[in-house]
Formats: sequence, C-alpha cells, structure tokens
Amino acid sequence: MVDVAVIGAGQTKYGNHPLGLKAMWAEAATNAFNSVDNNFEAKLVEEAFIGSVAFGGAQLGNTAAILTEHSGMKGCSVRRVENACASSGFALRDAMMAIKSGEADIVVAGGIEKMNDLSAERKRYWLGVSGDTEWERLAGLTFPGTYALMARRHFHEYNSNHDDLVNISVKNHMHGFENEVAHIRKEVSFEKAASGFMVADPLTLYDCCPTSDGASCVILAADHVVREFTDDAIWLKGSGAGSDYLALHDRHSITQMSATQKAVAQAYKSSGLSVNDIDLAEVHDCFTIAELIATEDLGFANRGEGGIFAREGRGRRNEGDVAINPSGGLKSKGHPLGATGTGQAVEVFKQLKGIVEPARQIRDAEVGMTHNVGGSGATCAVHIFGRDR
Amino acid sequence: MMDEVIEQETIVWKGYLACFGNDSCLIQSPWILDGDCVFGADSDHTTLTVAAIQLMQSKGCNLDSINSLQDVEASIITLTTGVEVVQSSEDESVELSADWDLCIADDARVVICKTDSELELELWQPEGTIEVDADFHQEITAAWQRECAPNHVSQGAYISKQQYYEGAAARLTLMGQELDGEMIWPPRQMDNNGLAIPQASTSLHGVATIESWTKLAPAGAPSEFSFRAPILGGITTVFVRFEQGPRGVFLLVDDEDNNPKIGDQVQFVTRRIYAQEAFIRYGLKCQIIKE
Repeated sequence: MVDVAVIGAGQTKYGNHPLGLKAMWAEAATNAFNSVDNNFEAKLVEEAFIGSVAFGGAQLGNTAAILTEHSGMKGCSVRRVENACASSGFALRDAMMAIKSGEADIVVAGGIEKMNDLSAERKRYWLGVSGDTEWERLAGLTFPGTYALMARRHFHEYNSNHDDLVNISVKNHMHGFENEVAHIRKEVSFEKAASGFMVADPLTLYDCCPTSDGASCVILAADHVVREFTDDAIWLKGSGAGSDYLALHDRHSITQMSATQKAVAQAYKSSGLSVNDIDLAEVHDCFTIAELIATEDLGFANRGEGGIFAREGRGRRNEGDVAINPSGGLKSKGHPLGATGTGQAVEVFKQLKGIVEPARQIRDAEVGMTHNVGGSGATCAVHIFGRDR
Repeated sequence: MMDEVIEQETIVWKGYLACFGNDSCLIQSPWILDGDCVFGADSDHTTLTVAAIQLMQSKGCNLDSINSLQDVEASIITLTTGVEVVQSSEDESVELSADWDLCIADDARVVICKTDSELELELWQPEGTIEVDADFHQEITAAWQRECAPNHVSQGAYISKQQYYEGAAARLTLMGQELDGEMIWPPRQMDNNGLAIPQASTSLHGVATIESWTKLAPAGAPSEFSFRAPILGGITTVFVRFEQGPRGVFLLVDDEDNNPKIGDQVQFVTRRIYAQEAFIRYGLKCQIIKE
C-alpha cells in the first residue's frame, strides 16, 4: 500500500476576513504551495477535494471548480466535499484514499467558508442547517442548543460542571493568543469566562466558537514522489471516519459521540499507534463541552472524567499529558466551517515541522492528531500524523 | 343546554380552561386582557379546537365529524384527533352534515356542541384566568402577523409543506413503529440491518421525562423564531424520554419560564411552532406536569 505524506500546508488568517471566496482560497493555496520545500507547481495537482458548507449560498454549486480555477489548478479533477463542519476533514481522508488507490500521486485537500459577509438575518438562516431540520430545528434547536443539552446531561451523569468548561475556554484562549492566524487573539481570565453572556443555558459566550471566514489547504503526495519535493515530509500515518444518527434523540447517549469513537479506533489501528503516542491534538471544540467529550472519546480521559482532565489542566501546552488545541482550537483560532478540518492539519503539520511561533511550539512533538466533527456528531474524521514514516 | 355547561367546574386542560357537559364543551385561553379572553404566545382557534376534542374524547364522547363555518386548519384537527371537519364558507353550498358544530368566538374561545344546542357564551366565568401584559400581547400578536405573511420566506433550513405532512402523524400524535418489541420514534425507513421497518401504527404514551434542557437566548434561536424569541426572552427546549423508550426534543408550551428540571414529567399539547409562507407548522409542545 502506498504511504501518504503531507508536503505542504497553508491557510489564511481566520476571522472577519477582508477577502472573498476566490481570493481567500488563492491565498491559502499559495501559502500551501510556498510551504513545499522544492519544485512545486500548482499544475502538478491531479485531484482536489475542497470542503465547504457553501454558507450563505454564494457559490453553492461547483464551488471547487471555481476555486481551483482561481488558484492555478484549472483542469484537474475537483469536487466539493460537504459534511458540515467536518467537510475538510473528510476532504483530507478522500484525498489520502485517492493516493492510496494508486490513481493519483499529488492531491490537494482543503476547505473554505465565508461567513461574515452576510447580514445578521441571513446568517441566522444558515446557522444550523446541518442539524436535523425536521425534528430538532422544529423544536427550536441550533447547535448551541444541542451542545447545551449534551453539557447539562454530562453534568448530571458525571458531576462535571460549568467550571470545567470555563477551564477549557481559558486554556484555548491562552493557546490561541500567540497564534498569528487565530480569529480571537485574546486571553481571558477564569472569572470573565465564567460570567459570560448566556447563549444556550448552561453555555455562555465563552463556551462558543466564533463564526469565522477562512480557507486552508494541504498538499498530499505518494511516497514514491515525496523526495522530489522535500526531505522533511510529515507522514499521514492513520485515518479513520465514522458517522452516527443525525439527531441527538436517536443516539444511544448524548454524552459521548460514537462517530468519534469509531473514527479514532480506525485511526489508531491504521497508524499502529495508541493514545499514549499522541503529543498534540487539534480537537473539534466548537463548544467547550465538545472538547470535554472529545477528550473522553479519543481516550485522553476515562469516560466521565473529561471534566477532571480539564480541571487539572492536563491539556495545556507543554504542561499536561498532551497538548489539546495548541492552535487555540475552534474557540480561539476560529471555525470557518468547511476550512476547519484541513486547518487543523495545517497546525499539526507546522507543529511537527517545528515552524510555528516559538512561544506555541510543542516540545519534542513527534505525533499529532486532528479530530473534526460534523454538526453535533453525525460525522467525524480523525487523522494521525507523524514525523516518522 | 348552556345551563348544564354553567354548572360544570373549570377543568384545566392542555394549558387551557374548559367546561364539559354531556353534549358540549367550551374551552378558552386562560389569558385575559381588559376583560377579554386573548390567545397566549402560541395558541389559536385550531389549537383550542384540538384541545376541546381531546377533552371530549377523554370523557368518552364519540365524535366522528364536526361542522365548521369558520376558518380553522381542518387538516391539523383531523390529523391530531381523527375527527373530520366539514368545512364551508358562507357562500358555498356544502352541506354541514355532522352531528356536532364547532363555534368559534371572536375572542380566544371555542365551543363544540350538538347541532341543536343554543349557546350563551357569556354566562360561563372560569376560574384560573391570568391577566396578560398588554405590551407583551400586542408584540406577540404583531410578531405572528409578520410571521404568517405570505412573503415571510426561508433560506437555509426549510421544511416544505410536503415534508411537514409526511411527518405529521408522528409529529402530532406521536405515532411510532414497533419492531421486535421496541418502539421507534420518530419513524424511520430501515433498521440498522437495512431492512424495512413496518409502518407507524402505535402512538407513544403522552407522558415523558426530561433528561436535559436548555434555554436559548433570542440571538441564538433559529431564524424561524426570530420575530418572537426576543419578545419571549428566549425559547426553552427539553430533551425527553418517553415511557416506551424513544426520546425527542420539544419546545415548552407558551415558552413560559417554568424552570424545567431533569427528572420532571411532561405531557404534550398541540400548539403553533412557527409559520413561513403563510403556512403555520403546528406541533406538540411539552407542558411540565406539576404535582
């Protein structure tokens, strides 16, 4: 079987971006191309998988075609990949499989979302389109609501509490403060995060990620062509994906995500690695409770002990067991829906190459993980990257 | 006949006030403004009619059909109660053939009675009415008028009329499927082995237990609720488990601030959910059962 390497990765700054879709994608792709050590040209790309929800409907159809047209990749085989917030996590998996199939040697996976050029009213229309429209949304739920239901139930079942979520928020803001591409570069105190405006009881503003514009792009290559481009590739060692019922009420439990559990089990198996090998993990913290639950589902904490994990600071950069969201996560770095999955891969690529801002560098980082969730857990893609092949 | 009605005590039923006689039922909103009976945040004559029929059915009345000259959502009444609505406007010649009449007052009251009854609505003074804030009532009424306008359309998440009616039996009567002794609700097409599941044929019991809940701030509410959520101060959703196993999410009735708790038991009432393109989506909302 062909091994797959990441030879380049880049992204835009996340936030309220001044550029539109085409220019944002061009910027992310150019940053990715320029990050390749040697001899890379856009025309070498054979396949492109671009994740996007197409938020706002600006380019709902043929999104990938117009983006590649504007980034030097016209003519290659393209498609938009849509799995809500996990769109580009799945784009990355599809890109990897295209290479492993032997059909392509150089493939781009990326993602993009433009969320902040809409009126408040139009934005409200689009937020939550990835939940269960017929049953959950008719009951007044968008994602803050669904995650709030999970949080309250987790508190009830495991004696976790809102302070645990506050600790996650404070940590991720601290991690993101030094990140030049983060949407919200602002540290927050425990007291401030604990007293935020209530969005969906018990979740406050400081439990919720921002809506961000952004694009991200990674370049994958087959093992037999890697040396043409770099002597220092990052290897995509494992991949897994899973799905679950879309609506919370159909699931066995609302305090865990079986899609994550399936995905990470596959990723550990295909990489031959275990939870103890992970030095850093970019975890899908669209809401702080999502990170708490993910630390349990990914195996960093025992079932029901995600609150304790957060309370004890075990995910803090260069202090805890494993660095959880060294980029700042969705909470601080931002969450441009379709761009988030490959944006996580950009962070892991740079951490493992040792090229992030020095203050954020995870010491002796050898193995990193990305965990990208669609909606409230209907889809999930997990990838494990390593410096060693 | 009306004398008989007057003698009945007030029944608190599905969030409304009712009195019941052998051949009639009067039901009204509990909300009063300047002496007039007015609708709450999510009620109308259709939801009152549904509640009245359900009360009569619970008392053993055998209604197959009712006559109605007024404008109610006949399909919702029929789907929810099984009672056919024989409907005619004044300029049409449809024969009102049912044994029961639906009489809709100008205010928030309806009466269902035998066709030969003579009613005097003013005579009944129910206990348990609540004075409603005038500003609140005015704002929520105006919000519904905007929401029900034909040009109030949706982008993004959207439930078409066809999709709404496809799930209406499950939505309005909790109709679920039975498979290997287990109830499945809301209904689905196939089981986890890819085998077809029998059609929905059994309703869940109308009592469930809250397993979680949230109150969404107005700005966090879906756009479908964006006119009313600011007036209501947010909307409350509960995640419940039915006695037969399935779980579901529902809004609290009247969006009232009644502090749900995990473990609280709820019952279900028919109310307006939201409207788009002049089509009101009705559904079930939860009402906490107070001890």
